[in-house]
Amino acid sequence: MSEYAVLGKRVTRVDALEKVTGAAQYGGDVHLPGMLHGKFVRSAHPHARILDIDTSEAEKLPGVRAVVTQDDVESGRRVFATDKVLYLGEPIAAVAATDPDIAEEAADLIKIDYEVLPAVQDVMEAIQPDAPRLHSDDTKDGPARRAIRADLRKLERDKSQDHSAEIAELNAQLEAIEEDVYYNISAETHSAAGDIEQGFAESDLVVEDTYVIPRVHQTYMEPHVSVADADSTGKVTVWASTQGPFAIRSGIAGTLGIPLNQINVVATTMGGGFGGRFGVALTHVPAVLLSQKTGRPVKIQMTREEEFTDGRPAPGCVIKLKTGVKNDGTILAREGLAFWDSGSVSGASIGSTIRLRGVYKFPHLKVDAYGVYTNKSGTAAYRAPGTPQVAFAGESQLDDIARKLNLDPVEFRLKNMRVEGDPVPAGPNEPKVGYKETLQAVADAVDWKNRTQGPNQGWGVAIGDWTNGCGPGGMFVSIHEDGSARIFHGSMDITGTDTALAQIVAEILTLPYEEVTISRGDTNSAPYATGSGGSVVTFTMGNTAKLAAEDTRRRLLELAAERLNTDVESLELKDGKVSTIEADPPKSIGFGELAAYSLSTTGGPIVGKGSFARKPSTPALAAQIAKVEIDPETGRIKVLKMASSQDVGFAINPMAVEGQIEGGTVQGYAWATMEEMQYNEQGNVNPGFVDYRVPTTADLPTVEAVIVEVEAPDGPFGAKGVGEPPITPTLATMANAVADAVGIRITELPMKPEKVVDALHGNGK
Amino acid sequence: MKKHPVSLTVNTDTYDLLIEPRKTLLATLRDTIGLTGTKEGCSTGDCGACTVIVDGKAVTSCMMLGVSADGKEITTVEGLASRDQLHPIQQAFMDKGGYQCGFCTPGFIVASKAFLDENPNATEAEIRHALGNNICRCTGYTKIIEAVMSAAEVMRNS
Repeated sequence: MSEYAVLGKRVTRVDALEKVTGAAQYGGDVHLPGMLHGKFVRSAHPHARILDIDTSEAEKLPGVRAVVTQDDVESGRRVFATDKVLYLGEPIAAVAATDPDIAEEAADLIKIDYEVLPAVQDVMEAIQPDAPRLHSDDTKDGPARRAIRADLRKLERDKSQDHSAEIAELNAQLEAIEEDVYYNISAETHSAAGDIEQGFAESDLVVEDTYVIPRVHQTYMEPHVSVADADSTGKVTVWASTQGPFAIRSGIAGTLGIPLNQINVVATTMGGGFGGRFGVALTHVPAVLLSQKTGRPVKIQMTREEEFTDGRPAPGCVIKLKTGVKNDGTILAREGLAFWDSGSVSGASIGSTIRLRGVYKFPHLKVDAYGVYTNKSGTAAYRAPGTPQVAFAGESQLDDIARKLNLDPVEFRLKNMRVEGDPVPAGPNEPKVGYKETLQAVADAVDWKNRTQGPNQGWGVAIGDWTNGCGPGGMFVSIHEDGSARIFHGSMDITGTDTALAQIVAEILTLPYEEVTISRGDTNSAPYATGSGGSVVTFTMGNTAKLAAEDTRRRLLELAAERLNTDVESLELKDGKVSTIEADPPKSIGFGELAAYSLSTTGGPIVGKGSFARKPSTPALAAQIAKVEIDPETGRIKVLKMASSQDVGFAINPMAVEGQIEGGTVQGYAWATMEEMQYNEQGNVNPGFVDYRVPTTADLPTVEAVIVEVEAPDGPFGAKGVGEPPITPTLATMANAVADAVGIRITELPMKPEKVVDALHGNGK
Repeated sequence: MKKHPVSLTVNTDTYDLLIEPRKTLLATLRDTIGLTGTKEGCSTGDCGACTVIVDGKAVTSCMMLGVSADGKEITTVEGLASRDQLHPIQQAFMDKGGYQCGFCTPGFIVASKAFLDENPNATEAEIRHALGNNICRCTGYTKIIEAVMSAAEVMRNS
């Protein structure tokens, strides 16, 4: 992509200096005069009725300024548990004191009387009829029963006439239905294409397996933190590490009944998010409540232990999967049934279950998914939410099929991949995406055809797909009198996106990259921007930046035409100046001069505007190949090679793109081999980095990032979202490599050494 | 709680403080002195985000009490760059893209400095082992290792 001066270059990020010197200000670095510190009182049981909350002793402790409970939430929206706690560590109250240690002491002095109830932690136990129930209003019906119940409710509401006969008839139908009934259901989705029964009937080989994927934590390095300042006029300012400042603003407004225009969210530098930093519940709302009650600024910072017990991690799930193929390797049919562990509230990423179709043709497809309540904290997004789990099942099973049919696993996948124009089973049409190119690129990177392996060594390949999001965004670009440009926007920099925006604006304005600076405003001063998640920022805000820069260019040309006594059509932007296209006579004028001139024109200063709502999103593919070696004594999986390719559309900053690929791949590796939030009947039992292992520099070698560029039709300069795809294949990549190395298929993650040893010695399940 | 007098040197400045014995060195640096470049990621000594150098050794400052730092010399990330020049490790993290969200970066840079000062000829395997106490969740470590290797070379040649 050498036609660009700034795009496609490995530029140093705009925030580099502040990040390496410690100057960057994160949420926890905000310190206001008179600031108090908040701490939570948390449930000691995973499921219990609250009989009494006694805050009197805590309130007497010197330094304590306020205690808040659900009684302080006038809207009634659940911020704290009141009647019943649903998981170990659920907040029941919060305390504000002059010092964090005093707040913690005070929290310990709050006495809660409980009536302990039986709890359920396992998703497959939770759906059973005798399981403890979390919510009285959960759905216990399958789809057919649910439809009848909806009709029944309508009839019962209608008092205008007597429906008793119809009601009796529907009740009889309800009794007669013989279908699976699941309990503790929070949500469900159902999709289908083709005729699944016919698909299996026509298959030569049908394989069925059950896959179990654990709940894992995003484990962003900065725990949740907020500083809230509610002043005496009712205005509220919240400093927060968040992926979605505007979502936080509306969340606080809705929960606490504060007018939107009275809330200002100042998004600080964010210490990682990966999808887990969108909600308002954890610290933002409680901090505002405490600040309102005390009239002082209040900081609440969660500990790492609190992150594990009361964070919103990625859901675990159980996937029952059945796939049918012809002997020649043509995939015909797939049926999936998934139970997602939602925790105590609905919201698990069950919609991603449809990605069981992968990027394959699947003429016949049926996918059913249920979210299931359990006595755990709720869940949230984690990097391509739901898809690593689903791809683990789908790609593990395809690998087994390739082995059974004696097909090369790369060739088998290439044969069945969709190309432009193929229908997407139970999904929207897609533009050209480099599916085959991406898999081929990673195979080439490791010289797949000539691969070799020693004893206990194996190669694994897998793919994962994701579609970048798209949302609304606004932006201004202005030109200073020194000729440099400044971007004003309100989107959170999610590890490199501000840099991409600066590159786009510099390219269009023909400025050196260093001449474009960027100001991220708070929600009071920046135009609306969609949250930074779903691989949305470069796609959405990149398009916005393009529009804003083009608008700026238009104004620059207009001003230059006035100054040079010519018309706009004869001018172009070149090297940070506006110049005549024809060299004779050569005339040019600098941006700085135009900016100064603009101040005395009727048109006013140079302000380019970009405002953007939505364009069709673009799917992306990640493909990986790992070579591993298993120590049969210890069960340790050693990664000898890890290559990870991805269709990124166009790499605006290859260094940042590689960083996303490397980081996502290692997160997937960790989910496959070590990470797992463990629960017993008392709740989460590994709330810290000693027992919840994440990878370190000592765990695996360099990841080889392979960038594939198949232009995204609606992306800025062909770019598409990059952040999420690289985590999607790795769970399966690792399991497939282990299967190749030692001939054992592990269907329950993580593949910790003890599990590998058990499987090797036939002790496994 | 009764406060105790403590005198410590941080990045060449000496501070005479009165601190509660339950306050960690991390809390002393961040909340009392106001140097917030050192980060709190776990409070249990497991993530390395709070790494500082105490009398030449890398220490997780969440695991050391402020009163224990009495009389010690402490270097934090704020003390690495001179007025007009970054430390070679900082420069390398910038150039190689050895950071993403940046929250773990001060800890990595400080831990790398302590290690490379003692082991200027360290191999990649030794560096990987030495930095095994620091967690980064964004980068997958590939570019961090590249940065530290490249900084080591610059430091050897200067």
